[in-house]
Amino acid sequence: MPVVELNINRIRKLVSGNVTRKQILDVLPFLGLDIESEEGDEIRIEYSPNRPDYSTDYGIATGLQGLLGIKKGIQKTPIRKKGNYSIKVDSTVTKIRPYVTGIIASNGKLDDVAIKQLMNMQEDLHDGIGRKRKKSSIGLHDADKISFPLTYTTVSRDHKFIPLNGSTEQTINEILTNTEVGQNYGSVIENAKNVPIIFDSDQNTISFPPIINSRLTTVTPNTKNILIEVTGIDKEAAEDMLSVVVSILQTAGFEFNELKITGNKNSTPQLKEKIMIYDPKFTSEIIGIEMSPSNMVTCLKKCRLDASVKGKKITCIIPRYRFDIFSPMDLTEEIALGYGIANIEPKLSPSTTIGQKNDVTIKTKLISQTAVGLGFLEAMNSSLTSKKVLYEMTKRDSSQIISVLDSKSQEHTILRDSLLPSLLDNLSKNIHESYPQKLFETGVVFSKGKPIDESINLAIIIAYKDTSYSEIKAIMQSLLRTNFKINSETKTSKNNELFSKGRHADIFVNEKKVGEIGEIDSNILENFRIRTSVVGFEIKLSGLIFD
Amino acid sequence: MSQVFHDIEKKILETLQKVPNQTPEQLSTNTELSIDQVRRGIEWLRLKDLAIVDESQKVTFSLGPNGFDSLKNGLPERKLINMLKDEPKTFDQIRSALSGAGFNVAIANAKKNGWIKIEKNNSESLVSIKEKPIETPEEKLLSFIGEKTISQEQISNPLAMKILLSRPNYIIETSEKTKTISLTDTALSLDTSASSSGAIDVEADVPSIFAARTHPLQDTIDEIREIFVNLGFSEILGNMTQSSFWNFDALFTPQDHPARELQDTFYLENLESKNPATSSQIKNVSSSHNKNWKYDWKLSESQKMVLRTHTTCVTIKHLAEQKPENARIFSLGRVFRNEKVSYKHLVEFNQIEGIVIGNNTTLRDLMGIQKEFYKKLGLTKIKFWPTFFPYTEPSLQTMVYNEKLGKWIELFGMGIFRPEVTKPLGIDKPVLAWGGGIERIAMLKYELDDVREFYNNNLSWLRSA
Repeated sequence: MPVVELNINRIRKLVSGNVTRKQILDVLPFLGLDIESEEGDEIRIEYSPNRPDYSTDYGIATGLQGLLGIKKGIQKTPIRKKGNYSIKVDSTVTKIRPYVTGIIASNGKLDDVAIKQLMNMQEDLHDGIGRKRKKSSIGLHDADKISFPLTYTTVSRDHKFIPLNGSTEQTINEILTNTEVGQNYGSVIENAKNVPIIFDSDQNTISFPPIINSRLTTVTPNTKNILIEVTGIDKEAAEDMLSVVVSILQTAGFEFNELKITGNKNSTPQLKEKIMIYDPKFTSEIIGIEMSPSNMVTCLKKCRLDASVKGKKITCIIPRYRFDIFSPMDLTEEIALGYGIANIEPKLSPSTTIGQKNDVTIKTKLISQTAVGLGFLEAMNSSLTSKKVLYEMTKRDSSQIISVLDSKSQEHTILRDSLLPSLLDNLSKNIHESYPQKLFETGVVFSKGKPIDESINLAIIIAYKDTSYSEIKAIMQSLLRTNFKINSETKTSKNNELFSKGRHADIFVNEKKVGEIGEIDSNILENFRIRTSVVGFEIKLSGLIFD
Repeated sequence: MSQVFHDIEKKILETLQKVPNQTPEQLSTNTELSIDQVRRGIEWLRLKDLAIVDESQKVTFSLGPNGFDSLKNGLPERKLINMLKDEPKTFDQIRSALSGAGFNVAIANAKKNGWIKIEKNNSESLVSIKEKPIETPEEKLLSFIGEKTISQEQISNPLAMKILLSRPNYIIETSEKTKTISLTDTALSLDTSASSSGAIDVEADVPSIFAARTHPLQDTIDEIREIFVNLGFSEILGNMTQSSFWNFDALFTPQDHPARELQDTFYLENLESKNPATSSQIKNVSSSHNKNWKYDWKLSESQKMVLRTHTTCVTIKHLAEQKPENARIFSLGRVFRNEKVSYKHLVEFNQIEGIVIGNNTTLRDLMGIQKEFYKKLGLTKIKFWPTFFPYTEPSLQTMVYNEKLGKWIELFGMGIFRPEVTKPLGIDKPVLAWGGGIERIAMLKYELDDVREFYNNNLSWLRSA
């Protein structure tokens, strides 16, 4: 989950002068924000990806004002149609990045802290809604450096301009190879011959979406009017992003002017509120508290939504940036938050069902109990293991190997098809501990099937100098006889490199092979650096003691 | 009445009845018992009022390096006299024969004893014998000690000893505490042969043996399973390998969601599920995604096989297939995340996840079940915070106060399945759902700060946990 670093005094100022530090720290978790750390006045807050408006102190302050009852309801966003701000979309972008949207935020001021927060928010939006800038990406510009109207079009890769934070003109190709953003996000535009670009009416390059802005329009603490442009392959996602930035800049004191958008499939964003009419009975049934509709309206307003009671129903007005609200269930959560999770009393209703363990669990436990009774210690190993342990060191057949893609850990790349290799690995890591060492494990093993079969195996291993085939066979037979009354036989089997020649067998129950048993071959023991005798067996329990 | 004596006690009693007052060392030699056995035996006898232990300080003397040299070659003053036997000698001559400090000591002592006279002749000092020297008390003492160690009582001339002690490295004085063991009157007259034998040394050290046991993490898993069974929940099992359909799509996770990327989820190489669900399930889930997330849902993405990232896929599949009217169900097992392994992250860990459908399915009931569960684990200081999960709404998390760490710890998450999850699968009633990792609870229980310990199978830990 994304994390944002904020100053508590700034939040206090934004919420209102009277709110105390403690009030803020107490209420933050009830907005769904986790305080990760607190150092002096600096706090690190983890927020959920469904609430990108909580990535700045402006958004958090808006939420706090609601829960603290300082300001309730929606902040309306009037958009003036004054001025000649427009952007024309050229049809050449259709195949590569068809949509652009945007707005002009004016008469505001951002200090260094606010600019830094906006930049971080932009990155979080890019990673989340923007799906690493692929779906949509934002650019913020100093609008006073721009001559409108703008054109959203494409240019060839040898087009030159000075990118943000750059000092000299670079071609598109140079930007893609030389800058960090170019390297990270260049893949979004793939191998397109021509790339998206935004020009102003003086043919100045404003932005090269979704990679980088031009230096010309850099936003600084002196910027008064901001152009926000969002481009993307998904119109909805682009407007989602725009709405979040607008809600933040509004709290920061900006006003808004329309940016007219014309061209293929594009349109001027309306940032319209959503209206949801629903039956409040539903909420009472879900939360389990009888609440009056007017009480619910109060709760919704505390969550910075607007609502009113109309007849038996509630009409709720949802601002554009709350695109996380899909259905009445989401409003129910808002009501619960407005009510205060801490005010909801847990209730323990008697169960009307009788609990039952699964048959597989019960029978596996019986096997474990017998193994413990016979003196074995239970081991637990990962299902994901390494090729080295599973196949190479044990010289087992790897033709049916099941691998996972791109594991971050070398030791966890292959799904195990047997338990014995990991038990041998356990012995090898315990050679300094006293002997005899006796281990057992029950666990899932995997094999290719439709598409994968999973079964539960039991493996047992004994290590000390005097252990022998007879000892392990006696243990195996005792395990199957106890509780389950299964008689087993051992039959000479064809050579298997895991075991010593002539000292291993297949385990049969009712003429069906269920496992293997034997003395572990000295070459294998050598691979694991085990310097004593080891015997073991492995049995498939699935199909034997349960289905 | 006959007393029961250990063999050690018997041997000590019999030896002391023959020779009273022995040190533990002497007893060890005479009884052929180890010194430890003798010490234990003495302690037992003392507690039974049969033995008396006298502690005393014993001072002994033996010769030091200078003492041994003098025993062989005489004291420095005797060496001087021997040199002067034939003729007087000058200081320079003596100095070259008696090296170092020996010269001053020899001249001073010989003069003090009245053995020599010193005459000034021109610039030379000439030394000659004045009187025939007799053996001094110190010399007598030196030859008395010889190579022996003697006790204070054996010294007949304490003054001579005092003089020798004042000269460096002649005498080594040692003082040690000794114990002398004697028997009480009762013990002296005991007939040990009449006492019955058969007692053993119940206090002696023995080799360690280790109990065979189930794995501590398995014990925690079983404990948690037991609690939910007692709360009326029934256990269902499901595969660890799942199609993306049940792991993600059925749970309303859009196909381009970051959680579905290779860097978070383990995909199985070249493995697909041809028919992950029924055609109507596929159709309904697909249209729920298209409508709500506004993108083009693809069957091929949902066919990819993954290692389940939660056990929720097992319960949701059960609900979709069985459509129970009233049920409490849980699923417990391993889940996987493609993460770097560290002290707090594993790629594979255990999760329990439960659902309630039918009666009593309000948020308050969900919180009540959690509260009761923690209570049975002995965790009573808990609170709930709102949080976000993609497939539940409302969503909460439990915070549990840990006294030892002195802080709130996040444990299970919970919520009510979104209608976008349940409706497409034909489930019309609200479904309460909750779940969380088990290792986290086990770490608190076993006071571990490295979660990897559970899977290291380190015998010294397993044998002592």
